[in-house]
Amino acid sequence: MNSLLLLFVALGVPTLGVLVYALVTGSPGLRRHVLTRVALTIPMILILATVVFVVLRVLPGDPVTSSLGPRGNPEVREAMRDQLGLDLPIWAQYGRYLGSLFTFDLGNALTSGRRPVAVELGERFPATIELIVPAAIVAVVGGILAGTLAGSRRKSATDYGLRMFSVAIYAMPVFWLGLILQLIFAVQLGWFPVAGRIDPIVSGSLERVTNLLVVDSLITGNWAALGSALRHLVLPAATLGLILLGVFLRLTRVNVIETLQEDYVAAARARGIKEGVIVYRHALRNAMIPVITFIGLQVAILLAGAVLTETVFSWPGVGRYLVERIGLRDYTAVQGVVAVFAIFVSMISLLVDVVYSIVDPRVRY
Amino acid sequence: MDTERLLPEAPQPEPLPDWEEDLARVGLVRRAFMARRWYGPDWWFVVIGSVIVIFLTLVALFPQWFAPHDPSANVGPRNLAPGEKPDVEVLVSLEGSGVANLRDLASGDREPFGVVVGTPSSEIARAAADTIGEETGERIRLRIQRFDTLEEMLGAVADGSVRAGAGSNIAIEEVLDDYPGVTIQGSLEGAEVTADTSFILGTNQLGQDVLSRLIWGTRVAFLVGFAAAAFALAIGLPLGLVSGFTGGKLDRVLSLIMDSIYSFPGLVLAIAIAAVLGASIFNVVVAIAVVYIPTYFRIVRGQTLAIKEAVFVEAARSIGARSWEILWKYIFPNVIPSVAIIFSVNVADAILTGAGLSFLGLGLPPHIPDWGIDLARGQVAIQTSWWLVTFPGLAVMFVVLTLTMLGEGLIEIINPRLRDR
Amino acid sequence: MSGEILYSVRDLVVEYDTRTGPLRAVDGVSLDIRRGEILGLVGESGCGKSTLGKAMMRLLPRNARIAKGELLFDGQDLMSLSEEQMRHVRGGKIGMVFQDPMTSLNPVQRIIDHITETIKTHKPDASDDEARERAEFLVERLGIRKDRLDDYPHQLSGGMRQRVMIALALALNCDLVIADEPTTSLDVIVEAKFLDLLRDLRDEFNLTILMITHNIGVVAEVADRVAVMYAGEMAEVGDVHPVFAEPAHPYTEGLLKSVPNIALDEEELYQMKGGPPNLLHPPAGCRFNPRCPYVMDICVSQDPPMFPVHGGGGVAACWLRDPERKRSESD
Repeated sequence: MNSLLLLFVALGVPTLGVLVYALVTGSPGLRRHVLTRVALTIPMILILATVVFVVLRVLPGDPVTSSLGPRGNPEVREAMRDQLGLDLPIWAQYGRYLGSLFTFDLGNALTSGRRPVAVELGERFPATIELIVPAAIVAVVGGILAGTLAGSRRKSATDYGLRMFSVAIYAMPVFWLGLILQLIFAVQLGWFPVAGRIDPIVSGSLERVTNLLVVDSLITGNWAALGSALRHLVLPAATLGLILLGVFLRLTRVNVIETLQEDYVAAARARGIKEGVIVYRHALRNAMIPVITFIGLQVAILLAGAVLTETVFSWPGVGRYLVERIGLRDYTAVQGVVAVFAIFVSMISLLVDVVYSIVDPRVRY
Repeated sequence: MDTERLLPEAPQPEPLPDWEEDLARVGLVRRAFMARRWYGPDWWFVVIGSVIVIFLTLVALFPQWFAPHDPSANVGPRNLAPGEKPDVEVLVSLEGSGVANLRDLASGDREPFGVVVGTPSSEIARAAADTIGEETGERIRLRIQRFDTLEEMLGAVADGSVRAGAGSNIAIEEVLDDYPGVTIQGSLEGAEVTADTSFILGTNQLGQDVLSRLIWGTRVAFLVGFAAAAFALAIGLPLGLVSGFTGGKLDRVLSLIMDSIYSFPGLVLAIAIAAVLGASIFNVVVAIAVVYIPTYFRIVRGQTLAIKEAVFVEAARSIGARSWEILWKYIFPNVIPSVAIIFSVNVADAILTGAGLSFLGLGLPPHIPDWGIDLARGQVAIQTSWWLVTFPGLAVMFVVLTLTMLGEGLIEIINPRLRDR
Repeated sequence: MSGEILYSVRDLVVEYDTRTGPLRAVDGVSLDIRRGEILGLVGESGCGKSTLGKAMMRLLPRNARIAKGELLFDGQDLMSLSEEQMRHVRGGKIGMVFQDPMTSLNPVQRIIDHITETIKTHKPDASDDEARERAEFLVERLGIRKDRLDDYPHQLSGGMRQRVMIALALALNCDLVIADEPTTSLDVIVEAKFLDLLRDLRDEFNLTILMITHNIGVVAEVADRVAVMYAGEMAEVGDVHPVFAEPAHPYTEGLLKSVPNIALDEEELYQMKGGPPNLLHPPAGCRFNPRCPYVMDICVSQDPPMFPVHGGGGVAACWLRDPERKRSESD
């Protein structure tokens, strides 16, 4: 079993758990909703896989020429065409491609020793996870708190300040924010390392279990490695987290403002409930529901941001792998990354959606 | 009073005055100006945003009017910090000696010319003299006289023992006050760079002017941003209209496809498309546009569904209006405001994505001045040249911020849900 | 019914800030509410009756403010209270029931949480069990099974939710309940039951109720006295029977005539001419003068004060009721 498959098992088990929970305990309406949602996920993955196929195989541009260059050895070219199945009719290629996708066999890379793409991705996915999880936590927690603050004090100085901050953050290219943080905190102040995932000196001493370096160093009690891994993590995670924080801030703010105009808020005020309780218990809880749904969609932004952030900080994750392989014109690898992203995004969105329909008491079918 | 008695509901007078009626009586320009009283800060956002966007469009259309230098030429020394004076070889002579540049020494005689040992002055002076000679046919023969220190050389110029001398601009300027009458006449090379030339935002590793590249970069950014957003609009809007209006199987299939693309990381899709299509501006536009089609599709479809059920459409249908008439006369005009908002936000987004693509080295041919490419080059020199990563990023941010401000203001004005009554 | 005055509004002016200047939604209104009575406050939409109700709790929207006037509740000047002290009055002394029971309960909070939260806000030392006990007592009294307390609002019918809103007002034995169009969104049968319940509760819990409504039938059914508002001003106040039998203000008369009456289906329904005035530019003199069938010269120049009518049992702001004019006419 390759490590990529392992990752999807790790993601799939909780999804499956939630699905089973919803199907067993839910009302018939909820059950129907969940089943429809699952049924929609499969065509969604198929459509994305097809889009990837169309982009990489049908659009003009020949992978063999672009990977070997126009002067490539004819024998090598022929071998490569054969390996990629490019001589087959387009429908046969499509079938082969879908088949390989569902068996998690993404083919062998065209470059770097022709290792299986699935294995290479499996090695790199933990680094991406280690980057996006803390970033998401920073974004969601920070964004919701700041957004509530801004929304509950609409048109105050705090509100205008936070709104300007969120707009400014939104206007920043992710990679530029990364560069600036790098410039200030790594180059000028020297507080954090400029790039990389862990100090090479301690790297050797760290025993790899999950390939999540923070987790590995915690389990093995390797404190030097933990410190180094965390220090390397701060800037990339802050970069990615801050960009998303702006998005969550705006969304929460709008929802809090709308919720505070609801009748039940006026009714709560008329009962003498404290303003703080109204904002944080009544308004925030209701405003949170659309925000949580939104987290599902944000996974896409998170992954796109990860591609750029990983490039800036030389973070050895999937995003950087994608950029490297595009530079090398390694189409099998690119196709693999994009397909894996598609599956990842669809599964997360399924998970969020089902959790949401279980959590919100209002959802009726 | 045994029956249910209802007071007929009178039309409810809004707490807001009927200012829209007042507005209807004045001309469009005056109307827009009057609106500031009702919309407050958001009106200013829109106005200031529009003014800046118009100015930036001008910059994008005619960068040559604004840029001090050719963005692709090596116009100065390499890696010059912002405001730092370029250190060039300059010609010094006595005031009133009649020597303002090397050509004034073309007398046929070997003219005594002072240089300092261990500096490139003599080589540069000879090379420059040869160049002038080739261009004009006048032969300049220099009798190079070497001095051990700059002070000795300047002293010789001051007492007239050499007619002119050459040395580093910065070093000379420091001690020039001690030699009355000696003046800096300009660069030896006679190139664009003189002692007075400065590069406000510095130069890059190739000696290109950062400011000029920023100004020319506006062109690509705007082109990519507007073209991609317009492209996406042109496809997403009709699809959304038709899909929402006809409903049924077509609608379900289209929605599923669009939702799938929408949920996928846009940049990754754009990367793949740009990589396959190869480097050209048009390909970048296509790659980015594909990513934003679902955005328009979703918003237009949603609005169409809502408007389709509205009373005035029902009424039109009941008097026998044809489908395309309803679509064109009733639904299309009503989706325009939200599409306009999405468009302004989308241009900003497309500029960000475009910068991201070129930062990754995808899409744009490398010779085009572009902020993303400049940032990628700047990152290589981040340890030494802070200005190379700072300014192109600020430029992106400024443009995106302006467009966002415009969009935000429009949203606050147009979206009545959030408007304070 | 004692004549003791529980809540006295004196010369209240409420202004909304609009983009073209201040708009007086309530303009110099005075009103006394007696302890133990049900007072019906009627008027067309936008006449300022809801604003008056909200102002009485100092719960105005952000762009509105009390520009002038006094609010005396149980001998206490509410205008002099701090926001924190005012918070204890709301829910503790004065309760409010809103128009739409569908939206006045927090959708993600169970019913019991609404009640215990209210109780604990005003009585911080009450235990969960005590609060629950009180909640169970209240909902059972209001005819809701106590196990429904653990339901979410969307699981309850409209009538049940409106009864929950009442329970919330009763949770702390409020003296005064301001009910803002409480039955508008209920169907007729539920409405009748609800109004009966309200009257019973008034006796049982010693409540005073201000019933804000545009439905004159509701007033006729439950109210002891009625106050009629027009364009931000009080038109007529008095006991229900004399006012309905012999309206002293032409506006009241018009209101009563324009109500459909099943018994008189032959007659065409009376329609008052015109619509309510723009409050930014109210007409000079009496605000009703453009629509009044009895308009006189004085009506377009001078704003009428309140004249006693019905033998001193009520007041009306109409020059027709000017005792001096009557005298001069009879001369």
